[in-house]
Amino acid sequence: MKALLPPLLLLIAGTNLFAQEKAAPQPLPAVKPATEGKVWGALIFATNDAAQLIGTQEKPPAQLGQFHERLSKVFGFKHFEVLGQHQQDIFREYESWVVPSRDLFLKIDSNGPADNGGVKLHLQVWREQQVLVKSDAVLRLGSPLFIGGPKWKDGRLIFVLLLERK
Amino acid sequence: MKPPSEDHDLIRWLDGEMADNELAAFEARLKDDPVLAKEANELSALSAGIRDHLPAEMRIPHADFFNSQIQVRIAQMDLDESRQKQTGNISLADSFISWIRQPWFATAGAVALAVLGFVWMRPHTQDTAHSLILSFYTPGLGVEASTYHDNEADATVLMLDGLEEVPADRKISGISVHRSETELEIAATTLFDAAGSPLLVISRDAVGHPLFLTNTPRG
Amino acid sequence: MPSSASTDPGEVSDIDLVKRSQAGDTRAFDTLVTKYRGRIYAMTYHLIQNETEAWDLAQEAFIKAWRALPNFKQDAAFYTWLYRIAHNVTYDWLRKKKIQGDGEFDDERTEHRVAAGAEATPKGDAAPDTAMRNAELGQRIQEAISRLSPEHRQVIVLREVEGLAYEEISALVPCSLGTVMSRLFYARKKLQEQLKDVYETTL
Repeated sequence: MKALLPPLLLLIAGTNLFAQEKAAPQPLPAVKPATEGKVWGALIFATNDAAQLIGTQEKPPAQLGQFHERLSKVFGFKHFEVLGQHQQDIFREYESWVVPSRDLFLKIDSNGPADNGGVKLHLQVWREQQVLVKSDAVLRLGSPLFIGGPKWKDGRLIFVLLLERK
Repeated sequence: MKPPSEDHDLIRWLDGEMADNELAAFEARLKDDPVLAKEANELSALSAGIRDHLPAEMRIPHADFFNSQIQVRIAQMDLDESRQKQTGNISLADSFISWIRQPWFATAGAVALAVLGFVWMRPHTQDTAHSLILSFYTPGLGVEASTYHDNEADATVLMLDGLEEVPADRKISGISVHRSETELEIAATTLFDAAGSPLLVISRDAVGHPLFLTNTPRG
Repeated sequence: MPSSASTDPGEVSDIDLVKRSQAGDTRAFDTLVTKYRGRIYAMTYHLIQNETEAWDLAQEAFIKAWRALPNFKQDAAFYTWLYRIAHNVTYDWLRKKKIQGDGEFDDERTEHRVAAGAEATPKGDAAPDTAMRNAELGQRIQEAISRLSPEHRQVIVLREVEGLAYEEISALVPCSLGTVMSRLFYARKKLQEQLKDVYETTL
């Protein structure tokens, strides 16, 4: 029995090796790029006609309290529906896309930290292949940015951007 | 030498500051005193000449740039002030004039850029807690932007007007993205939903426009 | 090219624009800037006779006005209030520069006088030689004014350009009515000396 042990061990080791070669190669551990924080972006449909609402089930984050009331104060509509939302890291070195919808989305580029826990950004609002606006902005925690977009049906498309955490 | 009151009479007459009763008396003097009348006429002509050649309104050079620089400057000042409040240091460095001293003859590029609207946002009185739009630029013709902080809504607003309306029959749909992964080698970002399924891949074309690829598995 | 102000300044009253500006509406303030920049620039230019500095000072005036907006109670016309700010900004700058009048002449302040004179000259159908003489006269008048001391230049601009009454000048400077009159008289006599060949008449 003892004489069989070394070849047996070799056989087991070989089998394991063979098994490892057949499995998918393990990816190298990814180095996550440095970030300045995280943003939440959403495409909102605002309308006074409830019949025009699509009926999505998306909900804004809890820290954006009184969401509908605040949007109503700015834009004057009665009904607001979150069509899509996207939570995205703000990369320190690279641009990020915030794409709650292919119809209206953002590109953001960090310009470094701002005071009071904020982030300086260069942001671009895109509509398909067209830039609607380029802007330098400071986003601060709990202070949303409401971007009034194009009219649609009898209402308006609105982009909301919120810095969620640093 | 004339006493000051006589000089003042002449000036007051010239500038229409005399009461009616004084006016009649002074004009009677003018008729009787040719030296006084000569001086009055000469000063009248001089006043008229000054008014002709010193207009009350002048065309300001690089007018749009003038407006945009004001707004950019104030936004920067507000940021500097909020930063000072954070550090506790009073460090307003250079004078306003040296900061905004730009070449008088701004380049055509700077003028064109400024025309398309740099606007600034005034934070709520002493508040450094709000988001802020420092500047914006709308490349599209007829598109105008404005920004302000709405205190009632407690939100910063960037309003875009003049955008082409989306046709009512166009289907606008959204996605719910919970995370993304970027592959730098191929400059592509994959967006995933809450379950980890890929929703969309974003890449760029040769001129930097975004390209969307749907439901493409990775690898 | 699109303008940063979307409304015709004439259509919206200053009261409404000021209220919106006080609420943080940047577009409203931009409209006010567009509406009054020509007059403010003219005032700063006439006081300091230098286009570059006048441009800077006019900007600073609007910036200061924006910062002071919360304190504006609308008990006076907005332009009057703005003008006071611009005047003080410019006059403070002038005093700091310690420009000497009474025959002394500061060469730096004569930069760009030719261009400014051309802009200020009314354009019309005058024959070329008349237009030339007019432009030359304008330049001479501006030169003569630039030789006045700040105090005398100030009253000339406030009276002849802005059309302020003596009491308004007295409140703005500030000084007594008697001082306003004395300075106006003296300033005009000084200008008369400089422009004797133009305005002297015979008995």
